[in-house]
Amino acid sequence: MGSIFSSYNINIFVVAGLYVILALGLNLTTGFAGQVSLGHAAFYAIGAYTAAILSTRFGFSLWLTLPISAVVTLVAGALLGLPSLRVKEDFLAVVTMGLGLIIQSLALNLEITGGPKGIGNIKPLAVFGHPVGAFGFLVFELIVIVVLTFVLGRLVNSRVGRALLAVREDETVAETLGINATRYKVLAFAIGAMYAGIAGSLFAHYFTYVSPDSFGFMESATILCMVVLGGLGSIKGSIIGAIILSIAPELMRGLADYRILIYGLLLVVMMRYRPQGLFGTNATTWNVTAWRRLKDRRARGDRN
Amino acid sequence: MEGGRVFFQQLFNGITIGSAYVLIAIGLTMIYGVLELLHFAHGVIYMAGAFSALVAISVFKADIVVAVLVSMVCSGIIGWFVELFAYRPLRNAPKITALISGIGMALVLENVYRILFGAQTKAFPSIGVPQQTISIAKNVSTTNYQLLIMIVTVILVVALQIFLKNTKMGLAMRATAQDLQASSMMGINVDRVISVTFIIGSALAGIAGTFVGLYFNAVYPSMGSMPGMKAFSVVLLGGLGSIPGTIIGGLFLGIVESFADGYLGNFVVGRDAFAFVLLIAVLLIRPSGLFGKRIRKV
Repeated sequence: MGSIFSSYNINIFVVAGLYVILALGLNLTTGFAGQVSLGHAAFYAIGAYTAAILSTRFGFSLWLTLPISAVVTLVAGALLGLPSLRVKEDFLAVVTMGLGLIIQSLALNLEITGGPKGIGNIKPLAVFGHPVGAFGFLVFELIVIVVLTFVLGRLVNSRVGRALLAVREDETVAETLGINATRYKVLAFAIGAMYAGIAGSLFAHYFTYVSPDSFGFMESATILCMVVLGGLGSIKGSIIGAIILSIAPELMRGLADYRILIYGLLLVVMMRYRPQGLFGTNATTWNVTAWRRLKDRRARGDRN
Repeated sequence: MEGGRVFFQQLFNGITIGSAYVLIAIGLTMIYGVLELLHFAHGVIYMAGAFSALVAISVFKADIVVAVLVSMVCSGIIGWFVELFAYRPLRNAPKITALISGIGMALVLENVYRILFGAQTKAFPSIGVPQQTISIAKNVSTTNYQLLIMIVTVILVVALQIFLKNTKMGLAMRATAQDLQASSMMGINVDRVISVTFIIGSALAGIAGTFVGLYFNAVYPSMGSMPGMKAFSVVLLGGLGSIPGTIIGGLFLGIVESFADGYLGNFVVGRDAFAFVLLIAVLLIRPSGLFGKRIRKV
């Protein structure tokens, strides 16, 4: 394997990069806006299939499918988010999990998506007609990641970002401050979906093949684990969480059967000893009230 | 009347599968009741129950009654272990960490079974009595396995109700479900209540796993993932935390699925995702489920 940029390693880096984009998007939805989603892979799938269909039916290249996938998933995220976000917390987690299963099932049963066989022969990335190969793709992906990270950083530090934080911390208070909570929740959901769509189009053009197996519940759960492991509401955390959880199984290749077992154990132990994640602030996502009550009592000096 | 026969066949298939959903989902509902936790390792416990029964029958030559008891005990213990190891240390941490811890635990257990038993599907060992058709009336028939599953489910559900209504532990459990902190201040040993809830819920899931393994004659390490996820939709359909709601939700889902299978054939959404289409449709009309209490806004 010698070089760090052997084709085997590049493959791992590209996949890690895809997870970084996915985790960044989910962090906006779950970390910043506080809406737990267990169906992020649905939008990953929509992006990937959009790119795959456009590429194989109309000969579009990644330069066209990437923005189109982004727009399609943004709209899909808004359309699916609007009804889903009517329900809260635990209901939302299960409904998004259901959305993920429904989208995967559609990919499996529709004709246009190629059923269980999926879609092959997607055009690889080319610059001015020259195929760039795996390393070139990695460079392009890094550029996309830098841009998306920058955009997310600007977004969360803007007026919109502060509104999202307010909604996360207390929806009722946010509403009384004149923040349209539903609008911001849907916006966060849709932009998170768009990131997944971009990752999906990259996936399609890198592997040149998509099938329903790549977008199951475990995929959504893995992305959520990355976000929580890195720390909810931390951009740096999402990037590092995604890299750790996508490379760790590769480092454990030698353990064969025990790989996933140790991976699961890692999640349990991480949550036990560092529940706020690696770079987490005290984001009180999801269990806001119970947690705050506890904190309030502690602040008042009560023992619990 | 061919149509009538098919109708009742689908109905009984639906009630049988629905019974299994009820048994899995009751545990989830009870656990949600006391801890407000989405327990993602429940499907694995269902699988563990099926394997325990399989080992009891094929290795120790137990009969089906003993095997069912063994599966209850084993899955109860595993559920307890999951609670102690994955959830108890996180009692005061944000909920999402407990959810991830549960997913991690599910991965660990599923792979332990995969390493122990291999990934391939195993046939359920013979219990001495093959599946036979029983005719109830003209055009109405069921099988002995279906009857067994339905009757045992009814017995367990009634026993659970009696336990919850008439014992001290049951009372403590209902109190804890209403308010964990207040209960602990009233002198209830909340930790013990939570453990007992996990043990009972897991035992019920274990029986469900055994029955489904027996009914479909298939036991494999990943058999719990789909039922585990569908059980969530059952729990939400019935309204989170409501046991009667869960029972109706489970039977409803089983019957609807069975009829969709029988009459719609190859629908664009596969059988497994259908539960969630149903769930989302119901939640659009009633955001807190069919029988849910109105959820307090946080």
